[in-house]
Amino acid sequence: MGFVVTDLFKKYGEKVVVDHLSFEMREPGVYALLGTNGAGKTTSIRMILNMLAKDGGTVQWNGEPLTLQNCNVGYLAEERGLYPKNTLMDQLLYFSALRGVPRAEAKKRITYWAERLEATEYLFPKQEGKKKVKPMRADQLSKGNQQKIQFMLSLLSDPELLILDEPLSGLDPVNTDLFKSIIHEEIDKGKYLIMSSHQMATIEEFCTDLTILNRSKTVLQGNLAEIKKSYGRIHLFIKAEQDLRELIEQAGITILTDIGFSYQCRVTGEAQANALLKTLVEKGITLIAFDLREPSLHEIFVEKVGDAHEE
Amino acid sequence: MKNNQTSNVGTVFRYTVQQHYKTMSVKIFLIVLFVLSIAAIPLLRSLAGSDSEVSSSDITKLRLCNQTEYAISADDIRADERYADLEVIDGPAEKDALRQYLHDNDTAAAAVISMDESGMGFKIEGYYGEDSKISENDAETLTHVLEDALHQALLRTLEVTQEQIDTVNTKVFSTVASVPDYLSGDKAVMDTSTHMIVNLYYSYAVMIVIALAMSYIFQLCMEEKVSKLVEALLVSVKPAALLTGKILAVTFFIFGGIALIAVGLIISYHIAKSTGDVSFIKDFFANTFGMNPDAIHLGLKSWLMIAACLLLAYFIGAFFSGIVGSCCSKTEDTQQASIAVVVFLMIGYFTASFTPAMESDGVNYFVSLFPLTGMFTALPNYLCGKIPLAVLLGSLAIQIVAVILLAKLAGAVYRMMLLYSGGFPKPAQLIRMLRENRGTAKPAAGKED
Repeated sequence: MGFVVTDLFKKYGEKVVVDHLSFEMREPGVYALLGTNGAGKTTSIRMILNMLAKDGGTVQWNGEPLTLQNCNVGYLAEERGLYPKNTLMDQLLYFSALRGVPRAEAKKRITYWAERLEATEYLFPKQEGKKKVKPMRADQLSKGNQQKIQFMLSLLSDPELLILDEPLSGLDPVNTDLFKSIIHEEIDKGKYLIMSSHQMATIEEFCTDLTILNRSKTVLQGNLAEIKKSYGRIHLFIKAEQDLRELIEQAGITILTDIGFSYQCRVTGEAQANALLKTLVEKGITLIAFDLREPSLHEIFVEKVGDAHEE
Repeated sequence: MKNNQTSNVGTVFRYTVQQHYKTMSVKIFLIVLFVLSIAAIPLLRSLAGSDSEVSSSDITKLRLCNQTEYAISADDIRADERYADLEVIDGPAEKDALRQYLHDNDTAAAAVISMDESGMGFKIEGYYGEDSKISENDAETLTHVLEDALHQALLRTLEVTQEQIDTVNTKVFSTVASVPDYLSGDKAVMDTSTHMIVNLYYSYAVMIVIALAMSYIFQLCMEEKVSKLVEALLVSVKPAALLTGKILAVTFFIFGGIALIAVGLIISYHIAKSTGDVSFIKDFFANTFGMNPDAIHLGLKSWLMIAACLLLAYFIGAFFSGIVGSCCSKTEDTQQASIAVVVFLMIGYFTASFTPAMESDGVNYFVSLFPLTGMFTALPNYLCGKIPLAVLLGSLAIQIVAVILLAKLAGAVYRMMLLYSGGFPKPAQLIRMLRENRGTAKPAAGKED
């Protein structure tokens, strides 16, 4: 049961844009689709939602082919907008009606989300004096506030499956935190979320499983914690008050970056790192930081996609 | 909440209509349109001015100075029921005496009938007093009656009997029929020129409604692409339902506007009728459209038939505009789209213009049954007796099938082009894209991300 994508395939002419993508979500959670620009993420999402014809593969929701009739989907597209000249309330009610939400219920939900997304002043402008207040149109809002309305559109139907394509792009830090808190709430409600983003820290914060796409192909897939574990603790960060380059290189460790006595290094394993630490202590060198850790998602992504680019 | 795709056509329709009528410019336009419609007939009458005749006269006396050798009978003047009680007095043309007479009699008019300067014709000069109670139109009408009376005087001078006059004045009606129609005896067929005129004006009507809808449809087809709302909408409504809802909304704008004009004109007619004579309308139609309205008997059934045929023709044009409009991604593309629709309309229009001249039953049958030309010609051909009812019904059935096929094709093209962001595709490219998509489960296309 759950959400299963099998062998999704798409090509334009002779060019393959999605090459047999498969993944599954057996239980609610967050799944990340990562990739470079043009890797096929958005095309895959469009095929999942039946917006684009599949040249192969299936998408199943609870054992049946996913359709808009059997799955309540909320979608925040990467390329998003609003009717510029129409009032915000009209647009929200329209989308609610299209999703079969009764008008009275829709108004309740709009009120709730307006408060939650701190958009009440745009949707329910207060009357000042005797002057009649006109409802606000989309083109009167800033980009960030428009994004709040777009996010509301995707949430109004209380979707079972929520697909968020670059949900935090273009937001200021305050609104980023606001959006994150709502995403956390949706996860806690037991929703299925598919998220695509270039912000690796965001993905790490939310996702348990992921697929990394590069040039239409799946280059890495699985549980994020297990992937990290499989890499082992091979990333070493050292910060000192003096130059350690020679000592590090003598220990056979590769220095990735070297900025002002701060070193990002790659070790073969914990033993190599421990040997270096022992040497540094013996020489009485004062260390500010000595951090042996698993690779970050960013590092894994760059490694996987970088490798593929070099091929 | 799950999607209900069928009812979403209604939701799209309601939203599109609601947003259209919320626009201030549309509200002002409709108010102006309605006011102009109401004012149309009284305005037309005032513009027609001296050319219009009165239905009853205030003139009680006529001082007539007949300088011709033909005796005009007062009875001929009184034969017109508007002047049945008119007192006709002979009088000289001397200006001071004429002015004094008209000053003393405020319901009197004067007329001088003489040969014109060339000596080849007559002229009738009518006068009424400065402070007279009679109107200019009334005096004008009287001069027309005097023209008839002079003609009667001329005929009498030639010793033509009343019977001969009636014989000469007998009206002639002409009809043309094919041999089978003539033998069947129940077919009144209009002549070629009337057929051309009916065809032409019906074609105008079809072209106007489609041309009015065209730019609306283009704009609505591009709306979601331009505002980048496509993807958010596509998880809520099927493209075909979205397009159908929009086209139905445009239908409502266009035919709602026509209905508003019709209601305005009906009100206008009643206002004009309650405040004066409306007989000038007939003359206006005869002069403007070149046909006698009395010769066309349009009952409720005919009007319903015209409305149904016009609506069907409109839907063919609207869904064709939907196909073309779906290919537009930006405002500049609408120029190419307009050319495509105009070419489509011109084919039908020219066919409707030229085929009556061929006077061929075969041609009339063919152009009536072929949907592209039938939408322009089938109804006029039937109304003019060029095709039987069965052929008209056959043509309408074919047009209904054409509308359904075009609607399906428009839905497929709209779905395919919604995520397409390239230039306006050439017909061959569009067909190729459709073929490529036909092999897949759901037709769609787009550029890769």
